Amino acid sequence: MPKLGMTMEEGTVVRWEFEVGARIEKGNVVLVIESEKNEADIEAAASGTFRHVYVAEGDTVPCGTLLGAITATADEVFESDDFHAAEDRPEAKPSGGLEVRTAATRTSPSPAASHETRATPIAPAARAAAKKLGLDPQQVRGTGPGGRVTKQDVEAHAAAREALTPVADGVALEVVSGGSGETVVLLPGLGTDVSAFARQAPVLLERFRVVGVNPRGVGHSDAPEAADYPVEQTASDAAATFEGAAHVIGASLGAAAALELALRFPDRVKSLTLITPFVESNPRLLAVTDAWQRLAAEATGETLAAALLPWFFSPGFLADTAVRARTLRGLAQTLARVPASTLERMVAGLAAWSGTRTSDLSQVAVRTLVISAGDDLLTPGAGALASAIPGASLVEVAGAGHAVALEAPEAVNGAILKHLS
Amino acid sequence: MDFTRDALLDVYRRMRTIRSFEEKLHELVAAGKVGGFMHLYAGQEAIAVGVCSQLSDDDQVGSTHRGHGHCIAKGVDVAAMMAELFGRTTGTNRGKGGSMHIADVEKGMLGANGIVGGGIPLVTGAALTAQVKGQPHVAVGFFGDGATNQGQFHESLTMASNWKLPAVYVCENNGFGEFTPTEFVVPVKDIADRAASYGMRAVIADGMDFFDVYEKAGEAIALARAGEGPTLLECKTYRFYGHYVGDATPYRNKEEAEDWIQNRDPLDLFESRATESGVIDRDALRLIDGEVAERLRVAVESAEAAPLPEPGDLLTDVYVRYE
Amino acid sequence: MTRELSTGAAINEAIAIAMRSDPDVILMGEDVAGGGDRSKEGTEEMGGVLGTTRGLVGEFGMNRVRDTPIAEMGLIGTAVGAAATGLRPIAELMFMDFLGTSLDPLLNQAAKLRYMFGGKVKVPLTVRTVCGAGMQAAAQHSQSLYWMTTGIPGLKTVIPSNPADAKGLLLASIRDDDPVIFCEPKGILNQTRPVPEGDYEVPLGKANLVREGGDVSLVGFGATVGVALKAADALAGAGTSAEVLDLRSLSPLDEGAILATLEKTGRMVIIDESTPRCSIARDVAALCVDRGFDFLNAPVKCVTAPHTPVPFSGVLERAFLPSAQDVLDAVGEMG
Repeated sequence: MPKLGMTMEEGTVVRWEFEVGARIEKGNVVLVIESEKNEADIEAAASGTFRHVYVAEGDTVPCGTLLGAITATADEVFESDDFHAAEDRPEAKPSGGLEVRTAATRTSPSPAASHETRATPIAPAARAAAKKLGLDPQQVRGTGPGGRVTKQDVEAHAAAREALTPVADGVALEVVSGGSGETVVLLPGLGTDVSAFARQAPVLLERFRVVGVNPRGVGHSDAPEAADYPVEQTASDAAATFEGAAHVIGASLGAAAALELALRFPDRVKSLTLITPFVESNPRLLAVTDAWQRLAAEATGETLAAALLPWFFSPGFLADTAVRARTLRGLAQTLARVPASTLERMVAGLAAWSGTRTSDLSQVAVRTLVISAGDDLLTPGAGALASAIPGASLVEVAGAGHAVALEAPEAVNGAILKHLS
Repeated sequence: MDFTRDALLDVYRRMRTIRSFEEKLHELVAAGKVGGFMHLYAGQEAIAVGVCSQLSDDDQVGSTHRGHGHCIAKGVDVAAMMAELFGRTTGTNRGKGGSMHIADVEKGMLGANGIVGGGIPLVTGAALTAQVKGQPHVAVGFFGDGATNQGQFHESLTMASNWKLPAVYVCENNGFGEFTPTEFVVPVKDIADRAASYGMRAVIADGMDFFDVYEKAGEAIALARAGEGPTLLECKTYRFYGHYVGDATPYRNKEEAEDWIQNRDPLDLFESRATESGVIDRDALRLIDGEVAERLRVAVESAEAAPLPEPGDLLTDVYVRYE
Repeated sequence: MTRELSTGAAINEAIAIAMRSDPDVILMGEDVAGGGDRSKEGTEEMGGVLGTTRGLVGEFGMNRVRDTPIAEMGLIGTAVGAAATGLRPIAELMFMDFLGTSLDPLLNQAAKLRYMFGGKVKVPLTVRTVCGAGMQAAAQHSQSLYWMTTGIPGLKTVIPSNPADAKGLLLASIRDDDPVIFCEPKGILNQTRPVPEGDYEVPLGKANLVREGGDVSLVGFGATVGVALKAADALAGAGTSAEVLDLRSLSPLDEGAILATLEKTGRMVIIDESTPRCSIARDVAALCVDRGFDFLNAPVKCVTAPHTPVPFSGVLERAFLPSAQDVLDAVGEMG
């Protein structure tokens, strides 16, 4: 079967014009074939006797298939099978024979493999640097557009991590410390960092060794994956940041951790100061933390700060626009250090802890000071809490909001110093 | 014209080699042993040999997709050509070119060319080289009637005329440009008429008559070599096969084709003329037929046994110098 | 002490040096002598549409400096044939836009003869051509089509950014045994800078680090190197140190230099005067993503002309061309 054109793959024998035994002259049309609806006359390449037909009329065969045989003379020896074996060369159809190759050893986990709980992009150079430094790039806060983690972010994170304090297996926290003397441990509240005690630090540093603990997921502290960050865990983490016994001061959710510390490790706590504490959440607190969580996932630091400001500070404080603006900027910067995932875990921890220690307040065996704020919208029951703790003293700062430590530092500092001495 | 016995035999041998080579190829392609597009020169032998028998290795020749005849006439090794068609490393082009690009620059064969009209500027360039360097060489371009419609044709002949380059432009008018009859797309009766637009000398020859081509080509070549400028030589001819192997030529009138093939075969015409003078006899020619057939059989055999290129050969010869 | 020359004058000098040192070098093209038959009294030679080749027919004569008809396919094709048979021609394609009328001899002959002939022929041809916008020459005389020739295997494409490189790169191109497309960007033709005297070559395939820096890599070629340097100055004023790489040779491409600067800074902007699709800018960007993935600290930005023909009106043409401000915008965007 001839190949009449590049794309022809097979042809059909339409009609043999001669019968076996007939005399054929070179150039005679021996058969008619058909391919792709076109018929073609096939001429004899040589003269002789038509000896054998291999493909019958109506059959379709690939190009190169032996169709017939002509011998120069009528009576010479002709073995049809041998001739077929020697001359039949049907074209093979292009077959599979493909080899699927697997990618060379993956040296870094594909994005699909590592469960990214946030959508922030990570630059390739950052991934490579993180791998080299043995860090998880997801743990790094990105300063690039859209929160992209850059190589510099990874390097900064690594450098900051060198300064972290290990508190548990594979977990290290960002601890800010200074001063000398007896140790005072500061535990900040939900979604903030140690800068919440910015107005207390200078005063305390003059007299004490101050250890401010940024909990899991805040600032450069490790943010291990978890469904929640339990309050008990925050307490035991904190206990690992100092030796012996210390004065422990906590605000809001930090006060919950401080309370836990005092209940679990009373011999580690010299004195306990609880600023706007709670043992049970209330509907408004839950509503505010819910809103906070939603906004944190979508809004910028300033937007979030603007939404939270009225819940933390009193009208009197907010009346001064310059103060309000300054506070907004400061709060925005602090909020930027707590990613949405951390907030989620802290809120879950808060919800799980709420109500579990109400009846244990009478067990507190440490000298306790409760500082409450007169205009506290979030944890108004602080005063009642004080009476449940044996021997606790209460200082109420009239007219101040939940963030009383920032709003009314003189009153707060005075109370604390008196308590610590 | 005086031809010695040896000269006549040599001419016949060349023409017979071309004819047999093309017939053999037709078989090989139909049997699927050789791939690619194949354009056969059978029927036009008198032109290639009539011109090239008067050229030396220093005279460059440009050709077309229908180039086997020009290659053989110019003295390119037949076995190497066959190996090239089988894609072997022993081929003229090391298996990298194939039928449409067979070349042997040392024999003055600038290559068959896959672009219609593509060889014409190359030949003009070869003529320019000879003129700039003051060499007594001639460059000859072969092309078909279809190519004379190409811009490259007009631009090249314009430049060759302006500079009086030592070139001869040989148009092989075989009546068809691929599947379209010449008169359908060329608005002048004779291609030679086109030379007037370039102020160029033009001559028409009977492309089936070796002796007529030889005489007229000889004049053109002599004039070019003498610095008298280029000539357009139109040879009327006919291609015995289709445009390419696999073309059943439904667009050609069967009787007309039969008439050319049966009654105007250039080999038959040469044989009659050459033997009637008594200088050679038919037996000598039959002997040559046998020698040529044997030579081709050996060429096919050695081509089939020759080595195929290695995968690494894919990347070589793109540049003289790789950075 | 080096004197200053314009890019056009530097090119003229290179051609003269090449023609003096090798009798096989000829110059052909439309108006390259410019004036046709010099035997006529009272006529003066033009030396090319931009005057680049003035004086050459006077020194080398009409056998070696030839005015051709306005027949680009014929003139380039003839030059290819001459190159394949022993000459070393410099053919001028007056404007790169005329690749349209001359592509076949370059694409299907010059680029492929050596390969198709199994290495048995060489085509030592140089095609000089003016490219780029900036002279209000409008859509059909202002294109930067080096991406087309760069993509054709068998051709080489080079593009200088200053007079000194123009001279050395042209001498290297003429002496290279492969067909070389030598681009002369309109944006630098009148630029005057110091040019060394004598015979020297700038190698093909080697990029040039024009300015060192650590924060971001600006990759340019031809007229965009000047744009990159202007942007680098502005960035320095704002505390960002930019590195500027002049590609010089598009095919062969100095991939090592590109990847090295990307590794150093992690941030790259490529500035290309041509339109964006299938451009050199995107070709280099793909190289970075393919072979420099782990170096990337920000997306690779391509600053190119828009996907339009070149407009005539000056205000539009200025907007068409990549500017230093476009580069600064890209740097700001990439983060």
